[in-house]
Amino acid sequence: MQVGKRVGPKRKIWLLSGAVVGIAAVLGLVVHFLPSSGYSGEIRGTEPKMRLMSKEQYINTLTHIFGSNLRIDARFAPMSRKDGLLANGAAVANLDAGKLDQFRRTATLVASAVTGPEYRDFLIPCQPKDEKAADAACASQFLSSVGRLLYRRPLTDEQTNVLVQVAGVGAERLGGFYSGLAIALEGMLISPDFLFISDSYEPDPDNKGRFRYDAYSMAQRFSFLLWNAGPDDALLKAAESGEIQTRKGRERVVDMMLASPRFEVGTRAFFDDLLDFEVFDTLFKDPQIYPSITGATIVDAREQTLRTIVNHLVTQKKSYLDLYTTRETFISPALAVVYGAPAVQGWTAYEFPEDSGRAGILTHLSFLTSHAHPGRSSPTRRGKAVRELLLCQTVPNAPPNVDFSALNNPNPAHRTQRDRVKAHLENPVCAGCHKIMDPIGLTMELFDGAGVYRTSERGNPIDASGDLDGTAFKDTVGLAQALHDNPALPSCFVRRMYSYATGGPTTHDDGPYLDYLNKTFGEEGYRLPELLRTIVLSPAFSQAIPTEPAGDEISEPGKAGNLTANALQHEGSR
Amino acid sequence: MKTILWSVRLGLALAVGTVQATAAAASSEETHDHPVQLGLEQGRIAYVITARNWAVYHRTPDAKGECPRGFNDGPREQFSQLFPNDGTKRTLLETQLMREGRQWFPSPEPEPFKFKELAGKVSYGLNLDGQVKDNDFVSPQGEAGIDNQLYRAIGCIAAYREHDGTSKSSRNETLRRYNYNRFIIEISDVDSLIDDDRVTVKSYRGLDPLMTDASGEAFLPGGTQEIDERWGGFARATWTGRIVQGVLHTEPADLTLPAAGSFGTTDNYSLKAYRFRLALTPEHAEGVMAGYVDVEEFIHHVNMTATSLQSYGQLSSPSLYRALRRFADGYPDPTSGEMTAISSALEVEFVRVYLVEPSTPAKQSSRVSRAH
Repeated sequence: MQVGKRVGPKRKIWLLSGAVVGIAAVLGLVVHFLPSSGYSGEIRGTEPKMRLMSKEQYINTLTHIFGSNLRIDARFAPMSRKDGLLANGAAVANLDAGKLDQFRRTATLVASAVTGPEYRDFLIPCQPKDEKAADAACASQFLSSVGRLLYRRPLTDEQTNVLVQVAGVGAERLGGFYSGLAIALEGMLISPDFLFISDSYEPDPDNKGRFRYDAYSMAQRFSFLLWNAGPDDALLKAAESGEIQTRKGRERVVDMMLASPRFEVGTRAFFDDLLDFEVFDTLFKDPQIYPSITGATIVDAREQTLRTIVNHLVTQKKSYLDLYTTRETFISPALAVVYGAPAVQGWTAYEFPEDSGRAGILTHLSFLTSHAHPGRSSPTRRGKAVRELLLCQTVPNAPPNVDFSALNNPNPAHRTQRDRVKAHLENPVCAGCHKIMDPIGLTMELFDGAGVYRTSERGNPIDASGDLDGTAFKDTVGLAQALHDNPALPSCFVRRMYSYATGGPTTHDDGPYLDYLNKTFGEEGYRLPELLRTIVLSPAFSQAIPTEPAGDEISEPGKAGNLTANALQHEGSR
Repeated sequence: MKTILWSVRLGLALAVGTVQATAAAASSEETHDHPVQLGLEQGRIAYVITARNWAVYHRTPDAKGECPRGFNDGPREQFSQLFPNDGTKRTLLETQLMREGRQWFPSPEPEPFKFKELAGKVSYGLNLDGQVKDNDFVSPQGEAGIDNQLYRAIGCIAAYREHDGTSKSSRNETLRRYNYNRFIIEISDVDSLIDDDRVTVKSYRGLDPLMTDASGEAFLPGGTQEIDERWGGFARATWTGRIVQGVLHTEPADLTLPAAGSFGTTDNYSLKAYRFRLALTPEHAEGVMAGYVDVEEFIHHVNMTATSLQSYGQLSSPSLYRALRRFADGYPDPTSGEMTAISSALEVEFVRVYLVEPSTPAKQSSRVSRAH
């Protein structure tokens, strides 16, 4: 099967042996002129993407299918960050033998647990006539029902038959029905149909000559965006019935999904990506210098900010901008020691005191510790993070021949970090970038590398004055307000969210629609659910711009296409 | 147990804060000069206990000065003497069970073992009776009249060696592990941690785990303890006291000290006329608690550990019991006149905590379940 053609009838179970599969999207230039409520300009559709499932998506999906008792210890290679998001890196990820082996090991454990004696009576809807022999009827019942959830669309009869055959052969060779079933399930868990989230498209009956994503692709696009997991049975039913292809049906489905507790999971996933929180997986603080930063502190720091975000944006439906000024948050005992506050066991609501110097998530330990050195603070890292993560501005990397001696061997006469980083501004090679980072980061010097509030450094008063794009402030509360009022803050958020939702970096052509989204985001009080609803109900989310295939296999209007495992199989065989 | 001696710290209490701050500033670019600032909260400050050990003072190599005849034999050595491997046939009842019975049904009748009592003259502790008697000790700082006859009894038992006694390591381990052991003192009516002529000290039992630092060994000031009175307020007691040059001195009061040992088995101490002398900082408190402990109760605590554990520290419960009875110096029995309690001192360390009122019993129980 090739890109631009309908999926062929012959699919096989993929027991991959390590072929390198590169997936790269080719920029399409087709522009659609489609109506959208409240917007009369151009709305581009998006190119079909094939994305490698993230570790969290893998775990969430299997947990939803098999239950949370099933402990899934998945350790997958990290994605590369592209245009500010790991999610964009998933669309250019490759799967080599090493990565496949990681998936295979996890699949083996999951399949073994699901079919094992502890869970089989709960997870397998039938019992074999003889546990020591194959049972095609029972295997078919289980594999077709689970396969629909794993592959995010019903299995074809041939797919089911092949899986049942695999289970049967396994049962014979391994001497038991459940052993055979485990082999078939493991095969599904390493199949590209499961591991790759691929978009399929079809002619749009309402817009001749154009394409839309098919119903199952829409279901998974909704689900991985809003829940960070594969679609559930209700969502697949909405796809099967065609409801999801109607405006009214999509609205019902989206509202249902936004009201689900799983939306909190989806929100966490986005902000975890946006705020570069994968650094917490490897964050280290020198225990000699920061004895209060324990492993529990680091885990809880990440959780505190995500918990605050979910409560602020999802539960209370407050403004995204206020996230950077609110003193409302949650603390745990491990964090309370650093914040200097009492906290009973578990998580409790907490409001930073007015005189704490803390306002907004930039003054959480998560930001302050992750954008600092293991043994000291870093105004440069903090300033760079604000510029890149929150304002979508690019700060070039330091030149390779930069002289760090002034920082690594500080002059004792330099009493505070402000004195030391002056070297940046005196060197014209450095000054260009540091002028936009340091005035932000130096204000955050009110917090040391562990995030502890301070007003002096080694006995010397800290001058925390700073500037953000012409707005001056004297402390972190002032910085928070300046960030809150900076027009780049919401526009960057919209850009990242649109990119995250559509599966790839934005381009210049997206500009008009992003302007529209910015406008409506502001008019609706900078509320996350409204922004997401606008995006996912827009043609930008549902319309496909077919990738132009190479050679003579040109996609023709009126024919369906996809980026599926079959396409991969074909590409791999060339 | 830290190597810092509380006695030294008591003497240097005023200087400690300054020395620590100066040393920290010189050692690191960051943080040590600006830890989280913990101040008094409306004249109150609370601490939770992180170490408590019966005070033993060993200053000579291998304690040969304090124990010139060496350390006492333990259960294994005594068993070998009583029942040598000479071919004699003996029943389990006549041997192991008989010795176990001697622990749980103790008697002051003589045993065929010579008990090696402490010979040293210096001891930690306090002058409990305001007198200077012949059998009193002298404190490391030279204060006469120190009452700590418990030290005379346990000072030459290896389990209680000052720095490496098995009892010490075991008790500190269980103290940290089991939340039942959270003994908290709250000092109120405090105007200054340096000098205050009248303060009130109250004790409670807490609910929460201790907060350890990144090394996992030291305890962080600034944690939180919730008062736990699901089984009553038995740990509550009140003292009046004063702070003199950074050291808390209190009057005596009776106290039920919560204690949980191996496997979380609870076995509280009923301490009589106990009082504090603690060097205070905004983050820590360190020093002694001293008073009288009931002899029968003390030996019951010893017996709550298995004989195998006692053997590691050469601690013979029957022999110790007899010594405790001999050295007991307080609370005479109104009928016989025999002393029922023995003067004692606990070396203690506390770390600063926030103290919060108890939530509902159901919430507390759910948290305890998670903690264990």
